[in-house]
Amino acid sequence: MNMMNKDNLLIFCGIFFSLVLGVSTEVNAIGTVLLFQAEEVETSFWLWKFFGRLHPLAVHFPVSFLLFAALLELFTLRDFNHKLRPGITVLVWAGAIGAIVAVVLGLLLSNLEDYGGNMLGIHQWTGIGTALLGLFLIYLLGKTKSNQNPQAIKVFRVTLLVTALAVSVAGHFGASLTHGEEYLTETLPWYEPEFSPEDLNIDLVAFETEGDLSEQKQIELVGKVRAVFAHNCYKCHSVAKTKAELRLDTKEFFFAGGESGAVIVPGNSGKSDLVRRIKLPKDHKESMPSKGKVLSNDEIALISFWVDKGAPWPAAAEDVSVYRVAELAPRRPDLPASKNGLNQPIDIWVDAYFEEEGIEWKDPIEDKVYLRRIYLDLIGLQPSTEEYDTFIKDSRPDKRAIWARELLDRDDDYATHWMTFWNDALRNDFTGTGYITNGRYAITDWLYTSLRDNKPYDQFVKQLLNPDEKSKGFIEGIRWRGDVNASQVTEMQAAQNVGQVILGLNLKCASCHDSFVSDWKLKEAYAFANIFSDSTLVVSRCDIPTGETAGTKILWEELGEIDSTANRAEKLEQLANYLVQPANGRLYRTIANRVWKQLMGRGLVEPADEMDNIPWSQDLLDWLATDFEDEGYDLKELIYKIAISKAYQQPAVGVENPLFLADDDFVFEGTVVRRMTAEQFSDGVSQKIHPIFSEEEMKYDPNQLTVSEQSDIGFVRAALVANNGLLKALGRTNREVVQTSRDSQASLLQALELTNGEQLNNTLKTGAIKWKEKYEAGDIIVHEVYRQLLGRDPHQSEFNIAMAVLGEEPEPEAIQDLFWAVLLLPEFQLIY
Amino acid sequence: MNYNWRRRDFLKKTSAASIAAMAAGAPISAFLNSCSPKEQITSTADTVILLYMAGGMAHTETFDPKKYTPFRKGMESKEVLSTFKAVPTILEGINFSEGLEKIGQVMDKGSLIRSYVAADLGHILHTRHQYNWHTCYEPPQSVAVPHMGSWMAKELGSVNPVIPAFINIGQRFTVGEGEELKAFHSAGFLGSEYGPFLIPDPTSGLDSVRPPVGMSTKRFEARNQLYENLLKESAMGEFGSDYQKESLKRSMEQAYRLLNSPEAKAFDLSLEPKEKYDIYNTGKFGLGCLMAKRLVDQGARFISVTSEYEPFKGWDTHENGHTRLTDMKKQIDAPIAQLIKDLDESGKLDRTIVILASEFSRDMLTEGRPGAKVKDQVEVPDIIEDLKNYGMHRHFTDGCSMLMFGGGIKKGHVYGKTADERPCKSIEKPIKIAAIHQTIYHALGIDPETNFEIEKRPFYTTPDGHGEAEMDLFA
Repeated sequence: MNMMNKDNLLIFCGIFFSLVLGVSTEVNAIGTVLLFQAEEVETSFWLWKFFGRLHPLAVHFPVSFLLFAALLELFTLRDFNHKLRPGITVLVWAGAIGAIVAVVLGLLLSNLEDYGGNMLGIHQWTGIGTALLGLFLIYLLGKTKSNQNPQAIKVFRVTLLVTALAVSVAGHFGASLTHGEEYLTETLPWYEPEFSPEDLNIDLVAFETEGDLSEQKQIELVGKVRAVFAHNCYKCHSVAKTKAELRLDTKEFFFAGGESGAVIVPGNSGKSDLVRRIKLPKDHKESMPSKGKVLSNDEIALISFWVDKGAPWPAAAEDVSVYRVAELAPRRPDLPASKNGLNQPIDIWVDAYFEEEGIEWKDPIEDKVYLRRIYLDLIGLQPSTEEYDTFIKDSRPDKRAIWARELLDRDDDYATHWMTFWNDALRNDFTGTGYITNGRYAITDWLYTSLRDNKPYDQFVKQLLNPDEKSKGFIEGIRWRGDVNASQVTEMQAAQNVGQVILGLNLKCASCHDSFVSDWKLKEAYAFANIFSDSTLVVSRCDIPTGETAGTKILWEELGEIDSTANRAEKLEQLANYLVQPANGRLYRTIANRVWKQLMGRGLVEPADEMDNIPWSQDLLDWLATDFEDEGYDLKELIYKIAISKAYQQPAVGVENPLFLADDDFVFEGTVVRRMTAEQFSDGVSQKIHPIFSEEEMKYDPNQLTVSEQSDIGFVRAALVANNGLLKALGRTNREVVQTSRDSQASLLQALELTNGEQLNNTLKTGAIKWKEKYEAGDIIVHEVYRQLLGRDPHQSEFNIAMAVLGEEPEPEAIQDLFWAVLLLPEFQLIY
Repeated sequence: MNYNWRRRDFLKKTSAASIAAMAAGAPISAFLNSCSPKEQITSTADTVILLYMAGGMAHTETFDPKKYTPFRKGMESKEVLSTFKAVPTILEGINFSEGLEKIGQVMDKGSLIRSYVAADLGHILHTRHQYNWHTCYEPPQSVAVPHMGSWMAKELGSVNPVIPAFINIGQRFTVGEGEELKAFHSAGFLGSEYGPFLIPDPTSGLDSVRPPVGMSTKRFEARNQLYENLLKESAMGEFGSDYQKESLKRSMEQAYRLLNSPEAKAFDLSLEPKEKYDIYNTGKFGLGCLMAKRLVDQGARFISVTSEYEPFKGWDTHENGHTRLTDMKKQIDAPIAQLIKDLDESGKLDRTIVILASEFSRDMLTEGRPGAKVKDQVEVPDIIEDLKNYGMHRHFTDGCSMLMFGGGIKKGHVYGKTADERPCKSIEKPIKIAAIHQTIYHALGIDPETNFEIEKRPFYTTPDGHGEAEMDLFA
């Protein structure tokens, strides 16, 4: 075959040059990748990796050959046996073989290295498709040669075009994988980024001015940019951790760049490595942030915009916070006029919110559901069958409010229930780490009494912060024998825990180094901790003493000045007085949000320990906090108002994905379906079937304080016993650290405890014997089980199922098994 | 409606990975804020067995014997180095202390580490050092940190989904310092799903995985059927699909599966042939080793067997160190050697890493370590008149022995060295807890950067991700 005629030579020259061009760019790219890889641990056999990385180079052959073959085919449309024919044949052969080689190398590459995702899938399958089409083409070549029939020629031509198309598609996606999706398109003059400033939360339009930005605008802009850095990049690129020698936390370090030089080119985002890498798809090796979520389009647009504007970073910007900081002062929003027949302020605020979100009010829940809900939420117990009946028959129009009030008036039951929440939050327990070495003090007496007497919350906080012997446990913390990390000395524990629980503020980062999740500085944390100290603490940064001290200051100086020369008792008194002033709106927003969360399952602000986050209704939060103040810091009144609101009486919302509760886009529609706490569940069993705990197990007996008639509910409540296997499995924490919410999801270990745990089984066994004596007949027992445990009669089908097991004369074992089955129904275990 | 759109939008934003995690039954906290590492490490092991010598095992009396100084009345305490003779092991030139001959004979299947250096935590409290050993963090911490087994459970799950991933054998919590022990036998912020499945006593381990005592299998199955039938009829459809409800159902199914599964027989030691049982049966610890062997066969992920910690008992020798250790070595020698042999024979040792460790060592004189001595807790007379004063009674942190077998670890290898004269501290290749943890995580293919964001702070498997896997220990 004489194919080396003049025309074919020309063809090969063309292909050769385009290949040289393409390949040389890729060699560069491979070089970069190899360099980037050098420091990482190689685990697969190196030769396979090496071959894999030849893929980007190898792909140029099939792309060029097949495209050229298709192009040349166009010249032969008139005469299939054009003089170009032998050249095309060779091109098809070379292209097909090249495609197969590229596929093999590509598969190596994708399997050995971190590629993945949709785009890889498309690329891979179009690539494989191309190779298969190539094989088919070779087969067709044979056909066209052996018998020159026009049909075979047609099929060949169509297939060749399709192959050329396929190889282009495969090539395109391959390039997008390596260079980023917009590598090509972004250079076009008519290119529009898929994120256009108009859609952004970050309002770039405000900065879109001709010429230079004013200094004020520059400060605002760099502030927004730094907020993005802080939340997404500081974890690896700041003082605490400096990867690749790159720090983004100060101007000087930012512009100095990292180990491979400057990360941006001011004025040209297209040439800025930082911008390139934040735009790469998550699967890409060089994509940043390399861990966690990728930046949103808004954030990428913002940073590109800022770089294009010359990356202005005025010195004055240092004083501007990059984090959202909630208002400290209380705010009294004007209540809108009552609408839709709503008169409770909570409902008026929620109504305004609903209107904004396009949510319709639903019919309030029925009596039975409401009664169960307030019993569990207010006193932690469930209504008896008689109480259900009485309530349903009660014809007073305001019966819900009346019953809610009456429940709150059951002081001991209320106190016992809320002890659980406060013990978790104040890490108070009967047993636990630290007690053995006298390094910890219980505050149970004080806490119970305070709750029972409904101590005004300002007094409550004052006594915790400026304690007597009975309430000192919270700020004394846990004192271990031996050395502890500087950020865990008891003074710092006090600062952290007061911050978290009382003020909804995370000081934990700042107690070790300047925080990079907030503006709190190490020295501020120490200054706050010094209030709890006899002496002045020496500031340690990451556990290394700096030799400096930090003075003595409250976190917000506008609340008052602590006399640093005063002794500890005086300092604590000052602190307590300053913090509880009405001017400290944060304190009251924090508690209002916590109570809301206890009743609704999700705070207005989440997490409830991070009060700088945005509430879903600022007005409602502010109103709750100021109303709480107006009502004399009355916790029960706050609970009451929420419990009788229409908002609380909306049907419970089942959440499909628990992440939704933590999401910024959470939309309030009503209380969230919750799991009973360990204490609520155990008390339910004790109350309805048989007491789980004996008198001997009771660690704290409120009646020893003052004998109260109403606290005698006939069994020992779970909040009053030491933690044990059953309670622990059901989620009671060990209270070594403060904890303001519980893990509410069911787990295997929990289910095992419920299924074969001794404590529950023995209780149910004894209970079954008692019930048998009391009720005797099977049908009565089935009815009673449903009425008492679920507050309703069994449906016929349920009755039949249960009766099939129990029979007319049930054995205690059968009764025990029915107890168990009903207790484990979500209908019993959930608060809805 | 608007809010519907928002919710869809939210669901769209939720990554496919987290949806998958939910479907697989992970609790919320497990994938909230969890960061998935990028680099894939090729694992050399699937399973971990931790043999924990709680109470402080003296290196000079076990795996790193020094000059034998036999007891005689009136001897000076400072001359006491080892109270046992050294005996040869299968490795040339490497001796163990008398009483550990059997383990000595399997050392061709593992590595001996002689230079573990425990943390300086000041005045010594066993449970603080145990906390440090098991979590890699120094107590106290401002958040509840997870046990190593919980990280494994979270990152890798069970080998066999029926068997709980993290099983802890042999420790009761009703003993002194029980509360302190609870503090680290916990999944902490990873969520209770990943907590330890506790078998305080291996002889009654079966009770934890079978129907309640006194309930026949038939009744147990009938009870479960009753539950499922009632569940179908229950008016829970009211609030649509809800993760709470789903997770309840799912966990109940899982529990039923385990309690009713053939795999649960792993917990039944009576099924073991008598000769085998007898070899292991040196007490609770030995039987714990046997259970660990059976659990490996059935696909557990992380099994901890502990020579139970109880203040002043077991390895916690504040007096009678010599006589007590004779006894302790009897408890561990045969079962550990047998465990290694059995795993080796079944081929499981290739993918099972077995680690023997203790929170620190002991010495006759030094409390803490030379240069950082802490307050003495034990009176040691200068002249020993009574046998009860003969032994290692103080807490020593500067040189401790560990063993590692299988799962990609070098065979017949000795790592590090301690001085032959007092203080017998680590003088070559000192290795600390963070490196030990990273080595174990590395064997299991867990990225050293693995972390979990809690209260906006990333918590790594080791503090700030420090410590590097010691590649010298790998074959």
